[in-house]
Amino acid sequence: MLVIENLTKRYGKFLAVDNLNLHIEKGEIFGFVGPNGAGKTTTMKIVCGLLDATSGNVTIDGVDALKNSDDIKRKVGYVPDFFGVYDNLKTMEYMEFFGSMYGMSKEDVDEIADGLLELVNLSDKKDVFVDTLSRGMKQRLCVARALIHNPDLLVLDEPNSGLDPRARFEMKEVLKNLGAMGKTIIISSHILPELSEMCTSIGIMDKGHLITSGHVDEIMNESGGNSKIHIRIADMHGTEKSQPDKTEMTDSIDLEADDNAAAKQEKLKEDTYSRDKDRIQTLLMEQPNVTKVKFTEDEIIVSFNGDEKASATLLKNIIGLGINVSAFYKEKEDLESLFLEITDGGADE
Amino acid sequence: MKNRFKINPILKKEMVVGSRSMKMSWAIMAVSGILTSMVVFVLLITGVTSSYGGGYNYQSLVVLFPVLGCTECGLLSLMVPVITSGSISGERERQTLDIMLTTPISPFSIVLGKLWSAMMIVMMYMIASIPVMAIAFILGGLSWWNLLGLFVMLLYLGIYVGSVGIFCSSIVKKSIAATILTIVIGIGIIIGTALIYYIGYISVNAYYMSTGNASINDYLGPIPVFLFNPYSPIFDFMVRAISNSSIYDIVVSANSGALFSVIYRFWIPISMGINLLISYGFLKMAAARINGKVKRR
Ligand SMILES: Nc1ncnc2c1ncn2[C@@H]1O[C@H](COP(=O)(O)OP(=O)(O)OP(=O)(O)O)[C@@H](O)[C@H]1O
Ligand SMILES: [Mg+2]
Repeated sequence: MLVIENLTKRYGKFLAVDNLNLHIEKGEIFGFVGPNGAGKTTTMKIVCGLLDATSGNVTIDGVDALKNSDDIKRKVGYVPDFFGVYDNLKTMEYMEFFGSMYGMSKEDVDEIADGLLELVNLSDKKDVFVDTLSRGMKQRLCVARALIHNPDLLVLDEPNSGLDPRARFEMKEVLKNLGAMGKTIIISSHILPELSEMCTSIGIMDKGHLITSGHVDEIMNESGGNSKIHIRIADMHGTEKSQPDKTEMTDSIDLEADDNAAAKQEKLKEDTYSRDKDRIQTLLMEQPNVTKVKFTEDEIIVSFNGDEKASATLLKNIIGLGINVSAFYKEKEDLESLFLEITDGGADE
Repeated sequence: MKNRFKINPILKKEMVVGSRSMKMSWAIMAVSGILTSMVVFVLLITGVTSSYGGGYNYQSLVVLFPVLGCTECGLLSLMVPVITSGSISGERERQTLDIMLTTPISPFSIVLGKLWSAMMIVMMYMIASIPVMAIAFILGGLSWWNLLGLFVMLLYLGIYVGSVGIFCSSIVKKSIAATILTIVIGIGIIIGTALIYYIGYISVNAYYMSTGNASINDYLGPIPVFLFNPYSPIFDFMVRAISNSSIYDIVVSANSGALFSVIYRFWIPISMGINLLISYGFLKMAAARINGKVKRR
């Protein structure tokens, strides 16, 4: 449906989009993720024919988008990140205005607009002046407007920005419905958990580069080679597996209530703990796919870049090594932390 | 899709919006007010001067025509920049332009739509001035052709100033800056043509001083530069209307060459043609500016 090849955009010397490649299939809902200034808006504007590319190709349905911008404009609906509405114009007139830009007759527009306003839940606002609509309503109106000519591809630049949770939910429903109708949709957003819920695939962009793209599950699984495994070890601060007799010894010393001995014992405990910690760290680091081991208060967090099978092997291995694992779980990584990690290399250092 | 002829969508929208806003009605009322006071003023002046000769000399009311005509042109030259200056920059300020540019409508159609919208207001302004103008015509004994001619002149001037206004609106960010820039460009064109004429005159004069021979024709040579002054055909029209002479009659007495004589005889259509072409150029430039694909910073 949409193919972007080697797309590069420079503003003067500044490289905003750098050799971007992207394939989006028909019917996909593609989430475009990236921090401010990543180049999402720039890419979207090029796709919509609002900006010229410095180099590269964009084809929509096999049509060269950079050359035949007139054909493309009939295929694409665009909801910009920031937009305004006109004063003294009513909702239905607003729709008619844009319909007439596509050469549609008033009757055609009215019929289609009825359905679209219903879709975006604005049927009761047909005779209201658009500048009096709330932000969320305007946003939804803009979506309806972008659909007036029945485009195949809908490009939405941060359609959720500035919306309250309720309005976001409604927007999400609208987009899900559109997805179900078979429209190809590109959404950029900073609200990542929502994207993962409604998108079929996502692309993560930073500083003009597409860092990764693919199906949501794939990306979550691979997660750029950085999932986290949390491991708890039974009584890591006290009990020492390596010296099973020591526990009883300690108890007997305690009975004597010797201050000196207690302090000694405490010191011993600490020593063994840190020795143990080192030992566990070394053992874990020796495991395949482990990139980093970090100790917290009561957990060990292992940065891990293997798949499900590999993590099963890891668990088997560390139990085999005699470490008393009491809990072992893979952090259910949402896009949010994935996003932070990918776009801000090593934020948790 | 049956009829190919479709009213420009922007014009249609602006008419809906315009009919709801009070701005236009205020402008038209103000204009009628100004014109009425001009009439009263002229009546008073001519009344005073003619009373010496005994009896009211209606023929002197003929001055109402150039006075009102010039007032109308002057008001138009201020009003149209205000109307058109927000046409593109306003869309940018309101962030509605990008949406419009994702539709198949061409930038030139957008620009034309904006111009026609401004011209609708100009026409309403002309209609509103008819009653006052009629007094001048009836009392002054001018023909209705003159009134029609004046309206053609006003439309032409509206297109010219409107094109400059839309062009300015497309190159600056703020509407108010566009208004000022339009007026500055207008004044610049008037002063510029005069300056070029003056330089031409001086050089002919210098030539005469050094060689002692320069014909009157040489002196008149630089005059056609005023063809580029958009007000010059209006001036010629006024002269023709009230005095049965013209730039042609004034200049041709100097027995200028054949080419010049054609230029002077057809000053009005030639100058209007040139200036309408220039307007077209301004509109084209405006369209190129809003195309978005032009490097926007
Ligand atoms: N017209 C312009 N002129 C110069 N630089 C620009 C222009 N538009 C964008 N840029 C630069 O290009 C880069 C990418 O901008 P873009 O708007 O595409 O980012 P984005 O991913 O949409 O960011 P955000 O999440 O903030 O919307 C930014 O660094 C920005 O400064
Ligand atoms: Mg953006």
